[in-house]
Amino acid sequence: MARGFSRQQIGITEEMIETFGDTIFRLSHNHQVREGDPYRLKNWDEVDRQRPNMGLSDDQIADKIGLSRHQVLFIRTILERRRFHTGHYPRLLELGGGRRFRAERFTPHLDHFKFSQDALDLRAAMRFPPAQAKKYIDEGWWQGDTLSKWLDKHAAERPDAPAIRHGDRVLTWAQLADQADRLSRALYSLGIRHGEVVSVQLPNIPEYLIAFLAITRIGGVMNTIHMPYRAAEIETLVNHGRSRAIVCLSEAKDWSPAGTVLGMVDRLDSLDHVIALGAPVDGALSLAQLIESDVDAEPQTVPVASDPFLLLFTSGTTSAPKAVPLSYHTMLSNARVGVPEHEITPDDSILSAAPFSHLFGLYSFHIAIAAGACSVMLPVFTPPDMAATIEREKPTALWTAPAHFAAIRGLGLIDKYDLSSLKMMIMSGSACPEELVRWTAAQLPGCAVTQLWGMTETQGGLYSRPSDGLDVSATSAGRPSPGTEVRIADPETNDAMADGEEGELQVRGPLLFPGYFKNEAANKAAFTEDGFFRSGDLAVMRPDGAVAITGRIKDVINRGGVKFNPRDIEDLLDAHPAVVQSAIVPMPDPVLGEKACAFVMIRPDADPPTLESLCGYLLEHKIAKNKLPERLVVVDEFPMTPTKKIIKGQLEVPA
Amino acid sequence: MAKPKRDIDPVEAKTAILDYCKRKGALVAGVADLDAINRICPPGHRPADMMPRVKSVISLGVGGQTQGAWSVPAKALGYFGSTETRGYTIAYGAAFYIENKYGVPSIYCPPDMDPDAGPRVPLQSLKVHAELAGIGARSLAGDILLHPEFGYMYFASVFTELELEPDAPLETNPCPAPSCVSMYKSIGRTPCMKFCPVQCLDGEVDTETGAQKVMRYDMAACAEMTQQFETVPATLMDAMKAEDEAAREDALFDPDNKILWYKLSAGSGGLFAQCFECMRVCPIATKAPMADPILRYDAAREERERAEAMPKAAAE
Ligand code: SF4
Ligand code: SF4
Repeated sequence: MARGFSRQQIGITEEMIETFGDTIFRLSHNHQVREGDPYRLKNWDEVDRQRPNMGLSDDQIADKIGLSRHQVLFIRTILERRRFHTGHYPRLLELGGGRRFRAERFTPHLDHFKFSQDALDLRAAMRFPPAQAKKYIDEGWWQGDTLSKWLDKHAAERPDAPAIRHGDRVLTWAQLADQADRLSRALYSLGIRHGEVVSVQLPNIPEYLIAFLAITRIGGVMNTIHMPYRAAEIETLVNHGRSRAIVCLSEAKDWSPAGTVLGMVDRLDSLDHVIALGAPVDGALSLAQLIESDVDAEPQTVPVASDPFLLLFTSGTTSAPKAVPLSYHTMLSNARVGVPEHEITPDDSILSAAPFSHLFGLYSFHIAIAAGACSVMLPVFTPPDMAATIEREKPTALWTAPAHFAAIRGLGLIDKYDLSSLKMMIMSGSACPEELVRWTAAQLPGCAVTQLWGMTETQGGLYSRPSDGLDVSATSAGRPSPGTEVRIADPETNDAMADGEEGELQVRGPLLFPGYFKNEAANKAAFTEDGFFRSGDLAVMRPDGAVAITGRIKDVINRGGVKFNPRDIEDLLDAHPAVVQSAIVPMPDPVLGEKACAFVMIRPDADPPTLESLCGYLLEHKIAKNKLPERLVVVDEFPMTPTKKIIKGQLEVPA
Repeated sequence: MAKPKRDIDPVEAKTAILDYCKRKGALVAGVADLDAINRICPPGHRPADMMPRVKSVISLGVGGQTQGAWSVPAKALGYFGSTETRGYTIAYGAAFYIENKYGVPSIYCPPDMDPDAGPRVPLQSLKVHAELAGIGARSLAGDILLHPEFGYMYFASVFTELELEPDAPLETNPCPAPSCVSMYKSIGRTPCMKFCPVQCLDGEVDTETGAQKVMRYDMAACAEMTQQFETVPATLMDAMKAEDEAAREDALFDPDNKILWYKLSAGSGGLFAQCFECMRVCPIATKAPMADPILRYDAAREERERAEAMPKAAAE
């Protein structure tokens, strides 16, 4: 090496390097120690005495320890290389211009943040078609928005404006930002890192939103777990999403969520922390304490708009879960453009009857934080609670499912409570009966009743605007949200259908999720070749550009080759005086393939109808004979989604 | 062989040569004691090893940084070392000046590394020359020379066969500054020690006298921070050892490393000596009475005003 000599030529062995390396390195200029100021003072005795400490030349070292000069040169330079730890230099990039090195605050460059494999796996799922991504960026749909940025902006600009109201408890934007920041630092100090998932199972209370903002503030991803879910579902969700922590109640009505999770931690191998709200639970951390704590932790990274920040499950809670990863790009662009469309201003306050565990509930918060409006809490929906909350808190906007409002009507609460603060209402979550919209609008003359169609995969896809007028809102889900492409296509060929023809509603645009997480089979089925999402909903495009949702493809019954959508039959049955609610599902038939089976829930005070009487009623209402249900099953209650949709997949036709 | 012009007055010559240097932009200049250099520098690195009949070593200093430079981010400040080339140009000119005016062989001393000893060993120590010429004193910041008036400077040397009277080293060492001593008393460290990003500085101060007691400098760590030549082969070794294509790609094309390729091919940019963080926090480097052009301008104006006021006062 030295001057082109080989080790052999100069007589170097690894053993020599080992024996003398350290001594040579210390005697060389690589380490310098000077006592006093002997050169300037020309104190030659001191100069001679200190020479070995101040750094010797290779010759001098060679002389001192009995090696040749070339051997010293070789060993010194090889040690300079072996002791060279790259990674100091990049510190320069973090210093100066007012920032000085402080040992106690400095993380060595190479020890900086590293995404965990779980986080990387989730990021790998954020795979958008490049041409679409380019378009959304070029056209300005996708911007740099994150929840943290919006939160900080409101906290800076309107610190004292209310962000959350829950009874007497009001959190201003400044307080919300402070609490979210504290909890985020606590989560960070627990080891939760950018891109990692934290599950939340809470009712709609301020802590839900504090947790959401805290998790996302450190770049984390919130996975929501619906309140009715128990051990089996939680296990599937936590394991599929690889949650690092779960935030839940110490005690719910008839069980202990925290206790349940703690009881099965050995089956949840990614889960490190159970964080409970409520009475102390052995083995769980206290959410309240974490929010109060003021841990000195400084997360190394901040979330960016392309990050995933939500992981929501749509179905398959026990097998083949469909987990929907959502980025700020998709969700917040949709919320940002939605604010003026829904005519929400910073002075508004929004009440969501839908749980935050569902994207429709979260959409109310996305809209609120996009606008700087206040979110009013309704922990658990019951019709009287909702009516009383509206009367007391006077929200100006309501996010509700038709079933929520049908219950208000059914119990006659509209006359008992003052709901007049409402200026706008969005009904979404299942097929929305026209007459319910019209009735609601008539009861609340100052309120624009609108409809919205969305899915976990899209958030707000279609909606009617307050200015569209009642006829549009009562009969359709409205027009696409800004930037959203919608088409009605033949579900088999994906060819576009003419206006007025029923087909599958397909969606593409900046709002669209990138694909299910770890479920390739579902992904194959979910997208068309040109990148449209197959919603599975049946719809009709009207000449005025509004889209009417007409049913679900899955619900279509194929009776001997004749396919029909049972929705109109269900609507008729629902209007039958003895029926509370109905659902028609296909049942297998050896001859025809499928036949229709009607499930009905009967009013307690009514005589149970027979299949024949119901069929007679349907025939009177001009239903074709071959569409009539051929079996009747009376149920006490229906399995429901959190947004009060009947889960038809769980209806089993008895043998 | 060149013939010296006969009647050279060494005192006049010294004044003329040092004046030349200052006229051309040196803030200070002096002559170092050759015997002292020979006692300090090891064989192979003494002036006569380069210029056999050298009689005198002239050292000059040029301004370190502008005042504005201390406020820029470190990644840019690292590039601000290039004023040193101004010093070399002056030294180069001085060698020509001496030969031209006095007919005595002279050279500008190359500031470069000794190819016989690797990139951490210079041919000659410009630092020792300057120290002995009385234009800088060793600081606790890794022996960087500081001047009580001009703070932090760059140095260049001229070797000549003309015999000139050597100057004495600075009488006092401005480092540590009084504020550094107070800081040392309270936290046991001076600013340069505290803020060096690789913590390669350490030392002791005599709290009674305020003088330096011990200076400790881990040059290997400083070099790792500030000199990148070693990173190039390290990067290549990483690439060779990389487990897969992606890791190899990262080793070679990571932006931090790619800038090295740029420097290699463009032959420019980057750090050659210091990161300057120790000097950024040094009160002598940044606040000595004439440490930067603004301070020097102010000092010159005051001087002028004093001079103008003088005859008036005398007339009154
Ligand atoms: S140049 Fe930088 S690394 Fe070297 S001693 Fe000064 S502050 Fe430390
Ligand atoms: S900061 Fe400057 S003056 Fe103070 S001890 Fe360090 S080098 Fe000396």
